[in-house]
Parts: sequence; structure tokens; C-alpha cells
Amino acid sequence: MSVNEKFSAIRKGLLEFLVLKIIAAEKVYVADILKQFSATEFTTQEGTLYPLLSKMRREGLVDYEWKESEAGPPRKYYQLTAKGRDQLRETLDYWGKISGTVKNLGQK
Amino acid sequence: MNKVITINLGGTAYQLEEGGYDTLRTYLETAAARLQGNPDRDEIMSDIEQAIGEKFRALLGSHKTVVVTKEVTAVLDEMGPIEDDSGADPRAGEAKARAETGGPGPAQTERPPGQPGTPKRLYRIKEGAMVAGVCNGLAAYLNIDPTLVRLAFILLLMVWGTGVLVYFVLALIVPKARSPEEKAAACGEPFTAQEFIRRAKAGYYGATKDFPDRKARREWKRRFKQEMRAKRDEWRYDWHRHWAEQADIHPGAGLALPLLSVLHGMFAILWVCALISLLATGAVFGIVLSSSVPIWIAVIVMIIAYKIFIWPLKAARRACYYGYGRPKWARPSIFLLDALIWLAVIAAFLWLGSHFFSQLCEAARNIPSVAHDAVHQIRQWWHGK
Repeated sequence: MSVNEKFSAIRKGLLEFLVLKIIAAEKVYVADILKQFSATEFTTQEGTLYPLLSKMRREGLVDYEWKESEAGPPRKYYQLTAKGRDQLRETLDYWGKISGTVKNLGQK
Repeated sequence: MNKVITINLGGTAYQLEEGGYDTLRTYLETAAARLQGNPDRDEIMSDIEQAIGEKFRALLGSHKTVVVTKEVTAVLDEMGPIEDDSGADPRAGEAKARAETGGPGPAQTERPPGQPGTPKRLYRIKEGAMVAGVCNGLAAYLNIDPTLVRLAFILLLMVWGTGVLVYFVLALIVPKARSPEEKAAACGEPFTAQEFIRRAKAGYYGATKDFPDRKARREWKRRFKQEMRAKRDEWRYDWHRHWAEQADIHPGAGLALPLLSVLHGMFAILWVCALISLLATGAVFGIVLSSSVPIWIAVIVMIIAYKIFIWPLKAARRACYYGYGRPKWARPSIFLLDALIWLAVIAAFLWLGSHFFSQLCEAARNIPSVAHDAVHQIRQWWHGK
């Protein structure tokens, strides 16, 4: 089992957190999110992202508005809700702790 | 030259090659099936359709108006499979929790991640069924070969005729698997279009695939049923003749018949009383059922015991019936004798029972635990195989 395979579950679990982080920076639509992910280890596809975003919206973390696009039909632009921002802050704190632990464990 | 099909994705019309259309339809059907139970299913589906539409639009220009099959496949690869673990299924959440703690949970080894586990349901499955699909559904539920279930039913049928009753009760109360999702639930597998195609290829629906059209299939079914009916009638006829030919008219038969009927009826009443006592108090004739034995096993044991006990009476009645009602070749004496021997055995048994009552009680009390041990051993042997 390669490192890549071993971490697939962890990457999947982190996806929601990273989507929050991307949406926090600016209003985006799905293709933007995919583009930002495309150059990283977290490369993902619409098939994963649409169900995830709909779940996050159901949990009240994100919201969307329709915006006209220059080519084709209007698109859904996503933004964070207050709850989403709280969650992002919490997750960032927690992530800081985890990465600290990963760094410090086993060191003398 | 390929046929072109026009479709509507998110309010815009696109022209697809026929092969591409089939691929797209399979993809969308799979997506819809995987999102089964997701409250936002329709919305996600329309998002996905729109995203696919946008990708198609990027491929088209003023001189290129048709999306070819290869392009459809490429676009769908880019979209990726629908992964939804936000569904109402608690197992999905469990698997996610395991994934987060990093534990190698069984849910991950059993099935690919992202597919929520489907609860198993008992359905009747008409595909490849012989009669109403009860055996087929049971086989899918128990995950064994349908032929084995059918054999078990036939054995039940030949020994006591109970199989027919059980079958028809099941046929009446078990719902038929109509939609693909229900068929999947009958097998306890998450339904996907790929799975469907795989099974179709593996001949899962073999009974249907060999026929060019519905008419040919119906014709085959009709002939099959006709043949089965003829076989059944033939068998039944032989059976009756066999009984009757060995019988001889005996003047006693006419007198014995009502007596035997009364006896039969009395035993039946006694048995029903015993059954009620078992269900109500958990004890029969003062024998208390051990708590480790499920009540249904006790009921089945009682049914079997009753059937064995009552057999000579039935045989005697049948013999009388043929002896009385059929002239010339009817000879009931052999069966009357047979039945009398059986009655004598039962009488001897009862006499012994009344004389050695305590020992008998002891033995009867041990029956549940013995049966329990036997079932346990069979189960161990089955799993050890």
C-alpha cells in the first residue's frame, strides 16, 4: 500500500475543511474550487464535490446565490455562513494542534 | 455514420451520438441510485447535469454541433463517480468515523468507500423464477443457490405438504421486488448501474436473455407451465392409483372410517391445546421449555411430532376411503393393517409412558437441549466448511 493510498481516507476527511477554507477567501463556483484543488494532492471531481457541497449547505455551513455568467446559464456561487466561519475557525485551531502533535511526537 | 440523439441538460439542448447517450444515461442513473435517500437528490442531479452541459458546451463550436461518444466518456471520467456519504444511512457515518480515526474498519474492507451499506430485505424476485419468486428471493436473502432453496421446499412438500402452504403464505405476504433498488435490497447490495450490467452479463437474468422478444418468452413460459401441470397431474394420478390398487374391500372399513375421523379430530384438538399452552405459558403437558430454545423451534418440533403421530390415522382413513368408495381394484386391508400396527405402536408408547412416566418426562425435558446442541453443531459444521 503506497502512502498515497494510505492517506486516501484522511484526504477525504479533510476535503470539507479545505472547501470551507477556499470558500472563505472569496465567492466561488464549483469549477473554481476544482481548479484550486487540481494542482494539489486533493485533486477531486464534480461527482464528489456536488454531494459534499449540498451536505454542507444542509448543515448550514455554506450558502449560494445564482449569478449570471457571460457564457451559458447562471451559476451557483458559494459563500460561507456565520456558522461556516465558526466551524472553519474551530477546525483551523484543531488542525494547528494536530500538526503540532504530528511534528512533536517522538522527538527528544 | 452514427445516429444522433438530442437531449436536454439544464435547459439547453445537446446532440449526442447514440453510444454517448447510452453512456450518459447509465452515468446519470447510477448517480441517481447512489443519491437514493439524500434529501437534496434532485438538486444535486440538476447541478451535475448542468456541469456536464457546461463541459459539452466547451467542446462545441459553430462547425461542431455533435458530442461524439469518446468525448462523452472523457467528460464523465472528468466528472468522476458520484460519492455520497451524507445519506441518511447511519453506516456511512460509522465508516467515516472509522476512516477519521484511521482504524481498519470492516466497512472499508467489505465495500469500496463512499457506498453506503444497503439493508437487506426479503422480496420475491420474478427474474428467473419458477413460480412466484419466493425461493429466488429467499435465496438472495440467505445468499445461497436458489436451487438449494427449491430443493428444500420440494422436500417439505413431499414429506408433509407443508411446503405448499408455506410457499403460498410467503407468496402472499412477501412483496415483489419491482424497482432495481428493491432488487438490490433483496440481495443486500448497493445498486449501481455497473452492478446491474455486470449481473446481466454474468447471466443473472439468464432466464430472460435467450429470447428475442416478449412474445417468444411468454410462449416459452406458457409451455413450461403446461408441462409442469401435466407432470403434476400424472404424478398425482399414479399416487392415487397406487393406493387404491393395493386395497381390498373390507366391510369393516365403513365402520372404521367415522371412528378414525373422531380420533383424528380429538388428536387435532389436543395438539392445538398443547400449542396454545406452549405459546401462552412456555410449557407443554407440564414440560417447561428451556429458555435457551427459541419458541419457533419448539413450534416446528411440535408440528413435526404431530405429523408423525397422526400419520397412521391418516393412512387408515385414506385406506377406508378408497376401500369404501372404489369398487373392483380397491383393497384397503393392507393399509388398514399398516395403520393398526402404527396405532398399536402409539398405544404401546402411551402405555410405556404411563408406566415409566418420570423417565419419559426426563427424556422429553432433554429434547430441547439436545435439539439445541444439534442445531449448534450443524451451524458449526456449516461455518467450518
